[in-house]
Amino acid sequence: MAAPLVLVVLAAVTVRAALFRSSLAAFIAERVEVASPLNAWKRVVEGLALLDLGVSPYSGAIFHETPLIIYLFHFLIEYAELVFMVTDVLTAVALYLAIQDFNKVVFKKQKLLIELDKYAPDVAELIQTPLEMHYIPLKVALFYLLNPYSVMSCVAKSTCAINNSVIAFFILATIKGSAFLSAVFLALATYQSLYPLTLFAPALLYLLQRQFIPIKLKSKSFWLYTMQYASLYLCSLVVIICLSFFLLNSWDFIPSVYGFILSVPDLTPNIGLFWYFFAEMFEHFSLFFVCVFQINVFFYTIPLAIKLKEHPVFFMFVQIAIISIFKSYPTVGDVALYMAFLPVWSHLYRFLRNIFILSCVLIFCSFLFPVLWHLWIYAGSANSNFYYAITLTFNIGQILLISDYFYAFLRREYYLTHGLHLTRQDGTEAMLVLK
Amino acid sequence: VCTSRFWFNYRHVANTLSVYRSVKRLGIPDSHIVLMLADDMACNPRNPKPATVFSHKNMELNVYGDDVEVDYRSYEVTVENFLRVLTGRIPPSTPRSKRLLSDDRSNILIYMTGHGGNGFLKFQDSEEITNVELADAFEQMWQKRRYNELLFIIDTCQGASMYERFYSPNIMALASSQVGEDSLSHQPDLGIGVHLMDRYTFYVLEFLEEIHPASQTNMNDLFQVCPKSLCVSTPGHRTDLFQRDPRNVLITDFFGSVRKVEITAETVALDRGLAAFESKFPEDELATEPLKYAEQLPVAQIIHQKPKQKDWHPPGGFILGLWALIIMVFFKTYGIKHMKHVF
Repeated sequence: MAAPLVLVVLAAVTVRAALFRSSLAAFIAERVEVASPLNAWKRVVEGLALLDLGVSPYSGAIFHETPLIIYLFHFLIEYAELVFMVTDVLTAVALYLAIQDFNKVVFKKQKLLIELDKYAPDVAELIQTPLEMHYIPLKVALFYLLNPYSVMSCVAKSTCAINNSVIAFFILATIKGSAFLSAVFLALATYQSLYPLTLFAPALLYLLQRQFIPIKLKSKSFWLYTMQYASLYLCSLVVIICLSFFLLNSWDFIPSVYGFILSVPDLTPNIGLFWYFFAEMFEHFSLFFVCVFQINVFFYTIPLAIKLKEHPVFFMFVQIAIISIFKSYPTVGDVALYMAFLPVWSHLYRFLRNIFILSCVLIFCSFLFPVLWHLWIYAGSANSNFYYAITLTFNIGQILLISDYFYAFLRREYYLTHGLHLTRQDGTEAMLVLK
Repeated sequence: VCTSRFWFNYRHVANTLSVYRSVKRLGIPDSHIVLMLADDMACNPRNPKPATVFSHKNMELNVYGDDVEVDYRSYEVTVENFLRVLTGRIPPSTPRSKRLLSDDRSNILIYMTGHGGNGFLKFQDSEEITNVELADAFEQMWQKRRYNELLFIIDTCQGASMYERFYSPNIMALASSQVGEDSLSHQPDLGIGVHLMDRYTFYVLEFLEEIHPASQTNMNDLFQVCPKSLCVSTPGHRTDLFQRDPRNVLITDFFGSVRKVEITAETVALDRGLAAFESKFPEDELATEPLKYAEQLPVAQIIHQKPKQKDWHPPGGFILGLWALIIMVFFKTYGIKHMKHVF
């Protein structure tokens, strides 16, 4: 499978290189959907220029990257385009390897459950076969590399690509079963943008499953392993933050990075939900609503953990999607990451109810974003409500997509254990509803 | 300070600009002048001769010129801003051109014109400054040591009432009319359609045109400008607060920027410690010959200048720590046995 992967990688690199050389690069780099205040390239350049002038880059409100990114780009700034292309390729390769391993795990588990007779007799058509699963890793890499969102994100040189690659390596390490590496990469991802903290739960569940430790609250081995993983994660996070202190000998980066992510002071329009609310809100309510909005991101972890404790990788997918919808400064690069996982659940296609409408909504909104931006900012014949309507529609489309997949997944699981043809008490055909 | 709006108060702007012009001509730079004009006559749509403000009906003198620098214009000319400029209580964001940066050695000339009455001066047709407020502002200036000597000239109706209440030392005041009298305008220009100047300022301008930076004319001559026969009103002055005799006060003390220069014939020994300081530098570091202009930056060097070297480098401890961590993670994951490949 290496050859098709290499071909895909080459095609992706060609597309990105062609776009880098064209005039579209400058246009894409300043689109607000692609570059947010957290990951825009010109802010990185500004921060490094401020450093050369002897001023701390965190002294203004421009630079919100972590010190490790400063260190990375201090030496690589002349090769920035190459760095971003390599990052995208690394992300795709990491996802490829992760999904390859995951398929093996899925297949093993399926075999075990069939042998244990946990499945109903008439569900033969729902079982995944190695034949149909053979091309899934390649499709995942393809989906990530050739997704217009990730191409645009790479051409704009948004550091979202680096975040995506750290998360991809984290997923690879988790699926391979190495708790140490997974904790390290999760700490790096959390260090860069705060929200991957919620990925701690699915990673923990997966690793527990892999060690065959049952998830009972009274079990000692469960708590022991949880403590081990949590301490690995927290220690690596603390080590990384302390190391960042030594780059500039100041703790300035903490309010500039984490304070900025949490308190959302910059209300430039983006594809997220925060900007319009906070632009219209009175000052004395803003603290309350910032807390509400931020809790919203972290809130779904526990209920999803309870419901999806047998299926941690799907949980991870849903959690990444929730992060990229509800985070304070989302960009299309974040959307590209969870969309790369969609081929893994392609066997759910027959249970998806609204996939046509949702894909139309997402595609149309993506095209309408620049149109309405132009109408608002340049032509002056629209206003922020128009752009926010498209933002809302895009996010509703994403949320409905995720909940559609969630419903389809749970429905398939139910059918697997209870049989395809469900009947009610009186013998008529029954229908599964997500309550 | 010109405090009147509207086209028919053209003469007040012309008054102010005439004094501004004289003061600039006699050497005071714009950085030392705060000019407040409540309306723009030169670019007023009713001005048939745009970009000009004339002081005489034969259009002899365009007092607007090329380099008028107005510091407070239009609606910024308010009583509050005026008092803030005088007392120095200005918000920190105010630019330098809008501040009166005077100290205890500064001689200040304040010229105000507009519509006034017994004890007040009207600002912008909407508010007034009273003589009590003005006197208190000058007292604040005195207490903050913001002036050495102050000359206050006012050309309004009943102008003398404005200086009645002064009580701070070193203030000399002139006014165009006494209490109960009106200051009259000089002559209208039928082409422009309004009166161009007030009488008092017109004759003061005529007087000032004769002054040059070296002239020895004193204040007593200024007091004689515009007698009742020419001005119709009786100009007044007040010198009781002033410590020097007006006979000894030169016009250029207030209207011009004339520095006192003394040429001394004897040498002055500077601090002897300075010589020891200078000898610390070895001789060869000092340039022996001045560089010629062309040699200072050769053209080739300019053309082939490399991009600026990066000045900032991450500290050594950070790099060491980071790579130590990376290596530790690598060996923890892949085992110690790979160490033998490194060595």
